[in-house]
Parts: sequence; structure tokens; C-alpha cells
Amino acid sequence: MGILLDAGSRILVQGITGREAAMIVRHTLDYGTPVLAGVTPGKKGENVHGVPVYDTVKEAVERHGVNTSLVVVPPAFALDAVLEAIRHGIRLIVVTTENIPQHDTMRMLAAARKANVRIIGPNTVGVIHPGLRLKLGSIGGDNPDRCFVPGPVGVISRSGGMTAETSWMVKRAGYGVSTSIGIGGDSLIGTNIRDLLELFERDDETRAVVTFSEPGTSFEEEAAEFVRQGGFTKPWIAYVAGRFVESMPEGTVFGHAGAMISGSFGRPSGKIELMRSVGAYVPESFDEIGDALRRALGG
Amino acid sequence: MAKVLEDTSKRVIRAHGIPAPESRVAESGEEAERIAAEIGKAVVLKALVPVGKRGKAGAVKFAATPSEAKELAVQLLGMTVRNFPVEKVLIEERLAIREEWFVSIVTDKIRQCPAVIATTAGGVEVETLIAERPDKVRIHPVDPWTGLQPFEAKEIWSDLGLTGRALTQAADVLTKLYQVYVRYDCTLLEINPLVLTGDGRVMAAASVMAVDDSALYRQPELAAVVESGSDRAWRPLTELEKEMVKVNDADYRGTARYTEMEGGDIGFLCGGGGGSLLLFDAILRSGGQPANYTETGGNPSEEKVYGLTRGVLSKPGVKGLFVAHNITNNTQIDVMARGIVRALRDLGIDTARFPVVVREAGVNDEIGKKIFAEAGVEYYGEDITMEEAARIMVRRMKGE
Repeated sequence: MGILLDAGSRILVQGITGREAAMIVRHTLDYGTPVLAGVTPGKKGENVHGVPVYDTVKEAVERHGVNTSLVVVPPAFALDAVLEAIRHGIRLIVVTTENIPQHDTMRMLAAARKANVRIIGPNTVGVIHPGLRLKLGSIGGDNPDRCFVPGPVGVISRSGGMTAETSWMVKRAGYGVSTSIGIGGDSLIGTNIRDLLELFERDDETRAVVTFSEPGTSFEEEAAEFVRQGGFTKPWIAYVAGRFVESMPEGTVFGHAGAMISGSFGRPSGKIELMRSVGAYVPESFDEIGDALRRALGG
Repeated sequence: MAKVLEDTSKRVIRAHGIPAPESRVAESGEEAERIAAEIGKAVVLKALVPVGKRGKAGAVKFAATPSEAKELAVQLLGMTVRNFPVEKVLIEERLAIREEWFVSIVTDKIRQCPAVIATTAGGVEVETLIAERPDKVRIHPVDPWTGLQPFEAKEIWSDLGLTGRALTQAADVLTKLYQVYVRYDCTLLEINPLVLTGDGRVMAAASVMAVDDSALYRQPELAAVVESGSDRAWRPLTELEKEMVKVNDADYRGTARYTEMEGGDIGFLCGGGGGSLLLFDAILRSGGQPANYTETGGNPSEEKVYGLTRGVLSKPGVKGLFVAHNITNNTQIDVMARGIVRALRDLGIDTARFPVVVREAGVNDEIGKKIFAEAGVEYYGEDITMEEAARIMVRRMKGE
């Protein structure tokens, strides 16, 4: 099986005729992931690399029974696209769009919570399950095998690019990944580290988890609290980048929009201390991930 | 988030029916004197700078007469408040204050909704108050779909002990404030202090507004008055940073962000968002000192890479160039290579004396490798890690 994506995933792409979306669809099909339908208003009857296009999510659901959607639409249309997907029973929505107005994101996430629909992102590179050769999003680009090979390690990253690099470090250490997820670079996102640890705990394929974190947000603090309560019991290797930011004047944003420190909130040192206190291994250097995995997994 | 100066935020809230003193802007002592004379009463003068806690910084002053207003305006115009030189002064009638309150609408990142923070115990920093006297503060989450209803605004102030005319006025102000917060895509909208005047009126004495950069496309009125990139700095942008904003804005493809550091000798040309953080840490840990911070990614055009490279190299004191990314999903390494190599060539840089270390892997990296190699650049792909590349860079800076 796998978390988020599995053999039951029936994939739709909203905004499929856009330049970026068409490229993602080509890479996704090349990788072996079936894409059943796409939606772009007014483009019904067209196809993108053989994937049929509809005007509405309603039609795509009726024709193909899709239950998983990749949203690749401009910021001004993202809220409406997600609401449309929720209305028609889509269960997992991966929102790649960057720079969605914050007020729209708050509404989008509130609507998803109410309908019990899972959102990954916004501003996410996506999700990949190399064992089943399933991917959703730009993750892996034209060559997912470069960084993502099957194995027992779950990867959760606040940075899209570092989702690939972290998974590559896992591969370099002689292992592979069960599922890798870029959770999105913003501070308002649908699924955070804690939520994914919960899924990885139940996932038999996953024997350890590596996370890549940045300054800002309370994602690491919430994840540590979840571990403290016994919600996640597997080995957790947690790297935190951007420690230098603490010595910079407050209010500066380095990295993603979510990476802003305010007062004592979101400081890397506080995150590291908390995660260590619940038993996570927090390496000083990213290159230590390989050794840490070998210690955690043996072999 | 882009900060909006107080003259604009005051104008916006007044236009939406929130009582606030008439404010005007002066750029010289003479102008301040004339405005104070026209107001004909005691005035308050405030430095118009995009920073909070101006009172503490001595950037708020009170004048009884026009000549005093002139004198104080000249003082303010000579000040620099938390790195921001004061170029304009806001002048308004000084209110006769009986009580000072506080109300703010913020984004609650944990509950993922707007939240109202209100207190009638003004004059204290609200963070301190929340920590020490939480009973004196109301924090009220708002459903982003239904918004703040008038009865909720009323309850918040009633819980804080208001009644009578003060309650109805305060509730009206908060209801309208929430409407402004939504209408203008604010990330923060604050009135501090919200005052009860000697004659029983509730008025906004000072306002703070920040708007969402990502929503400026639908806020043309504000887009004209906020500075692009103003959210990312703790000081005004330097000339070089402004140049780099232009380089970034000239082409929609990819991003190129540039922040100057104090000192340093390593030109830092890295990405993406998380990768740059890791690499900056790694350079410091290896004993190197970056001269700047950058993030590039999202498949930038050759021209954008070229412009950014020139910018990074033009800072005085830069004696080497470090180019590194995480393994890229979509950024084309050959395009990066062409932009960087062209900049090195145009600036007449001799890589035998000026170390350039590259670690780039991803789309088209075979072609990129060739372009770098032909230019005499020390290139690595996925044969080494990001941190190994940082260590090599620092060694080259030491001539090793």
C-alpha cells in the first residue's frame, strides 16, 4: 500500500491544459502513473498526452470515478478549483499553486476540514511512491528515479527541492523511500508534519522517517508533541536548516514564506531542543543522515 | 506581507466609517508648521516608517503650537528609526484620551483562520499582557467563510467590561475593521491604541496595516503604495538589492532573490528555498563567510541568472563564487551554466585566481557540466553532497 497514494488512487489534473500542467502530465505518464482525466473550463473534448479533458470536475468524476486531484491552476483560481473538487467527492487534493492569497487559503483549508478532505500544499512539489511508481506533482521532474527509489524510509520536507535531495541522501545511504512528500513552503498548509507522522506510523512499509525543516511555523513543535503522546514510535531523523537565521535581525524572511521567525516562535534552536527531547535524532550536519539511517535500520 | 504606512491605513479605515483623526503628511518643518496652524489645536507628530513600536523609539512627539510642531518635525526628519530614515511625518490632532484599548486582527497560523485580539488594558505590550494577564485579553477565532458578525464583536468588548455608548461604538469599530481586513486582503490590521476620548467617543488613534503580497493583483489601490519586496528586509533595500528586484521582476520565469550581508567574501549563488538555508549554514560551519544570501529556482531564464550573477559578483569584497542547489526538479542546469559563464566572462574573471565552485545536478546537467568545464569552472554534480561542496568552496577561498 502506501500513504496518500496507493493502487486505489484515481487521478485527475485540474488546469491540465496549462504549460506547466501539461509538462507534469507528460513526466507523470512517463513514470508509469495513470492520469485518468483533466479539467480546464471550455476545453472539453481536447486531450493532453492522451488524457481526456472535461469542462467540470463533475463530468470527470462521472466518467472516470476519479478520487484524487492535482491542482495546477493560477493563484486567482485555486480556491474555486479546490471547492469544486471537494463538492464532487475528491478525497485527496494536492495543490501545487504558489502565491495563493492568504484569505483564499484560509477558506480553502476551512472547507477541506469541514468535508474531511485531505489537502497537501498549497505550494507543494507533490507526493511520490516509488514502489508503486505513483507520483502526483512536479516531484522528481523528468527523472524521478535519480532521487526516489523504493525502500523503508518516509520523507517529509518543507522545501520542494529538498524533498528530492533528502530522498537522494536516503538512496546514497543504500536505502530508498516508501513515500516522499513536499508539504509546501507556506505557513498555511493542509497537511503538516504531525499529520504525516500519524500516517507513517500506520504504514507497514515505513520503518523510519526523515524530515527536512526550516525556521518558522510550529510544525516541528506540533510533531514533537505528537511523538511525546506516543502517536509516532518509529525512528525519526529530523534535520533543521537555516540555523543562521536566528542571528539575523527579526522579521527577515529567508527561504520560504513559512520561514519567518517572530519572537521566540519558530526558532530553529527551540525546534531542535524539543524534537531531541522526545527522542528524535537531530543531526548537526545534513551529511550525517546516512549514518543515522544505518544506526536506525541496521544493515 | 507588505507593510502599509499609517497615512494610507488611516485613510482606508476612515473611508470605511471608523472614526480616526484627520491626518496629513509633511516633508519639512515649514510644512509641519503650516499644517499644525491649520489644525489649530495641539498635534501629534509621527515618523512615517514601516516599523512598529514607534513610541518607544522616540518617533512619536506632541506639539502644543505650530512653531513647536516645526521644531519637532525637523527633529523627526533627521532621525533613522530601526534602520529606516524618516522622510515623512504624519501630523494629526492630538486626542484627549480617557482610556486606551487595543484591537488587532491577525492570521492565526495554528487554527488557520483570522483571529481578533482585543483588550481594554491598553498602554502595555499585548504580548506581555497575554502572558501575564490572559484574563484581560480576548482572543477570538473567526470563521473565514462567515466572517465576524456584529454580535461577536459586541460580545468581545462586553466580555472585556464595556457597556453603554462605549460598547456600541467599540463593537461598530471592530465590525468595520474586520470588513476592511477582508476587503483589502490584510495579513494584519491593528488599532493601537483604540481610544475613548474625554468626550466619550471611540476613535482609532494609530493604525497598523500589512497586506498580502500575493493578493496585490486584486488590490490595485494598495499595489501603488507598497514597495515590492519590502516584507523581506529588516532595513530599506540597498541599491544592489533594488537592482536585483528589477532583475527578478523583468522576467516571470523562475525566482531570484538577493539579500546583502555585512562583510563576507564568498559570492553566494544558491537555491532553492530550503537548499539555500542548508548551504548558508554549511558555509558558516566550514568557517567561510558569505557576502550575500540568494535563492534562485523554479527554472529561471538565462538572462535572470546572468543578472543575478553579475549582482552577486559586484558587491565589493567578493573574492569567490559558490553556485549550488539541491538536485533540481525543473531548473535547467544548462541554462544556469550559460547565464553564469557569460557573467564571469563579461566581468573578465579569471577562474585560476578567483575560485568558482559549482554543485548542480538535475535537468540537462550533462550539457551544463560541459559549459562549466569549458569555462574552467570547478564543477560537481551528484558525485558529492551539498555540504561537501560547501567545504570545498571554503578550502578554495583559503587557497587550498
